[in-house]
Amino acid sequence: MKTTNFVLSGLGGQGILFMTRVLAVTALNKGFDILGAETHGMAQRGGSVVSHLKIGAAKSSLIRAGGADFLLSMDESEAYRHLPYLKKGGMLFANAKASAFPDERVAEYLDRMQIVPQAMEAGKTAMELGAPKSTNLAMIAFYSAFGVGPLTADALRATVESISPGPFRALNLKIFDTCHETGRARSL
Amino acid sequence: MKQEFLLGNGAIALGLLEAGCQIMTSYPGTPSSEILPEVVRFSKAANLNTSIEWSVNEKVAFDNAFAAAISGKRAACCMKMVGLNVAADSFMSAAYIGNIGGLVIISCDDPGPHSSQTEQDSRLMARLGKVPVLDPSSPEEAREMIRIAFDLSEEFQVPVLVRPAIRICHARQNIQYGTLSSNLTKADFKREPTRWASTPKFRFLQHKALNEKHLRIAEKFNTLAPFNQHTLIGGKTYPFGVVAGGVPAYVVRDLLEEYGREDIPVLKLGAPYPFPERLADAFMDACDRVLVIEETDTLIEYLLRDKRKTLGRLSGHVPMEGELVPEKIERLLNKALIDCGQAPLSDGDCGAAAFELTASLKLPIRKPTLCPGCPHRASFYAIRKAMPKAIFPSDIGCYTLGSNLGVVDTVLDMGAGITLASGFWNAYIQDGVKKPIVATMGDSTFFHSGTTALINAVYNDARFVLVILDNHITAMTGMQPSITQGDRVDGRKGNAISLETIVKGCGVEYLKVVDPYDTQDMIQMVKDAYAHVTDPDGGIAVIISRHPCVIGFKDAIPEKIEVRVSDECDDCGFCHQRFECPAMIRDEEKEKGAVNPVLCAQCGVCLTICPMDAIERV
Repeated sequence: MKTTNFVLSGLGGQGILFMTRVLAVTALNKGFDILGAETHGMAQRGGSVVSHLKIGAAKSSLIRAGGADFLLSMDESEAYRHLPYLKKGGMLFANAKASAFPDERVAEYLDRMQIVPQAMEAGKTAMELGAPKSTNLAMIAFYSAFGVGPLTADALRATVESISPGPFRALNLKIFDTCHETGRARSL
Repeated sequence: MKQEFLLGNGAIALGLLEAGCQIMTSYPGTPSSEILPEVVRFSKAANLNTSIEWSVNEKVAFDNAFAAAISGKRAACCMKMVGLNVAADSFMSAAYIGNIGGLVIISCDDPGPHSSQTEQDSRLMARLGKVPVLDPSSPEEAREMIRIAFDLSEEFQVPVLVRPAIRICHARQNIQYGTLSSNLTKADFKREPTRWASTPKFRFLQHKALNEKHLRIAEKFNTLAPFNQHTLIGGKTYPFGVVAGGVPAYVVRDLLEEYGREDIPVLKLGAPYPFPERLADAFMDACDRVLVIEETDTLIEYLLRDKRKTLGRLSGHVPMEGELVPEKIERLLNKALIDCGQAPLSDGDCGAAAFELTASLKLPIRKPTLCPGCPHRASFYAIRKAMPKAIFPSDIGCYTLGSNLGVVDTVLDMGAGITLASGFWNAYIQDGVKKPIVATMGDSTFFHSGTTALINAVYNDARFVLVILDNHITAMTGMQPSITQGDRVDGRKGNAISLETIVKGCGVEYLKVVDPYDTQDMIQMVKDAYAHVTDPDGGIAVIISRHPCVIGFKDAIPEKIEVRVSDECDDCGFCHQRFECPAMIRDEEKEKGAVNPVLCAQCGVCLTICPMDAIERV
């Protein structure tokens, strides 16, 4: 069976592992097999953090260069760092200013690889809504609006609702809905 | 059946309890650290009475597990691969002596390396110690292997090593499991001095017996499917085949499947030592050429008999260092196939041009840094301020990142902060030079291997300042409890051990305790300590720099102090470059330093460090 492959990237402390969990729990609830690879240890102290997630029947956890369907990045530089993992026709979602994204130095590569970049200031939006630490959920919500991959927006939202700790649930859902709307406006 | 998205280390923990492991010991180290807490979680959920401990170091962990195993119980100990070096003495000896109840050692490798000082291959330690080894290719297989390892260990009365690499430990997979039940074997140590306390004469006989066991285990490994298995179709011959073990074995399988290459047979060796000769011979006989892909060193490649047929590290087809990530494996498979006159898997460059493009962007280098508010930053700042010209031997833990502040000159291994300090002193004093030296070491590392080093230094009259960075926790590996607090892994209270008592017990007469948040006091204290070091009647001076980890303890910052950068700032960069606080940034528009309020921990330590006095309370 063909797998759907996600690469999630960012910096230590940005909640990449939690983001992975949202995707994984959603996939698990849909009855998919999942296999992923995480960064632990020293890099979590502010270093580059990346998480690979394969949905479907994979044997090995790491996604090869040119093997990812989706790259979700919490940071513009970390998006570029992991570009080689995206396959031809893959999709890139980054926490970055849409008007200045992508950097002109990678634009030609993205064109050649038929990769359409999508950017949203997820960090800014999360901060405005009062929860800068939920930027990771903002990115998931943004991605969910494009209707790509085996996980629906409703299913992802339900996961956010079920795994957010009580006091943060309402706010996380508000962030999810706001950023989902931003994504929808972009995808139309 | 329950299902969970388990970390590989969780799958291993599950395997341990499914196998009825009764005693479990460990010392934390990436990538092994989560195994023990996961054992605690599963054990509690199933209401088992598993005995689980963080031991003070890996050798201690090993010996504790060994005692249980020779009392008839199933026991395991786990560690990172460099921890097996610490336990090597016990490990080698235990292989000769053997065990009664199953004894499984889990040594987690770190090809890359991602969070370690070497890339050593634990399978070679197994070979050196004549210990059978299993090498899982996925979390699910690791869990299965634990059970088989216990069975083997009991059948042959020999310890068995399981070697998961980091891509097993920190992979996550959906794993199904049923109800766990208790193993009720009672401890029953039967005296047998010729075995348990054997003299060299008996050691020779034990060695002989071990070698004989190996012949029988190898025979078993010939048919140990699915761990050891090939995909040959009977009677067929092939121009090219792959022999692989561990993580690369499944990467190869996924690649061959993706590219539809059923024409390439694979011999997977998940139980590579003692070497299954018969199985390997059958594979080699059927293939003209064979590419060997294993992590991180050459075990299988050396053990395969016919080197004229093999490609691998010895032929230059497989890199001698670094992790074998999938694109690397794809690339080397392509090259080997072409060199053997076969069609490659793919004709692309396996991402090479894309990686070149990203390298050309000169993206920011993300150095790991101490957290905002970290008491170690305050300690390092004070040490450097007090003794800028000293040599700074340090050690392994979060505080290794003190290198960013220029206060870590050496990192060798656990405990070497002190041993190198005494070694430097000796090297210089021989020339009549009294070299200023300030060693640093964390509390957990001090208990792990610092005490013998300190005793040795005091005994031999070395002179240096030692700063023990006591943050009440083993932070880098994921907040394991510290001996100084007396908390045990399962939440029960043990007995706290006082650092002061140990330091004094090592023969140190000069001991001070400081809170590094009182940075100016600490600067003076380091200077005073050095005065004691240089006093002819003085000696080693120890400072315990004590403040709880800001991540591990909610109340670590007693008074939150909001700070800002005033107009006095002359943009010298000291606060974000030298003091290196992640919350201190440069405001590019104003061309001045600034505080990032999201990152700032409000510890207030920076109030005294600005050369222009431009950091102030809000």
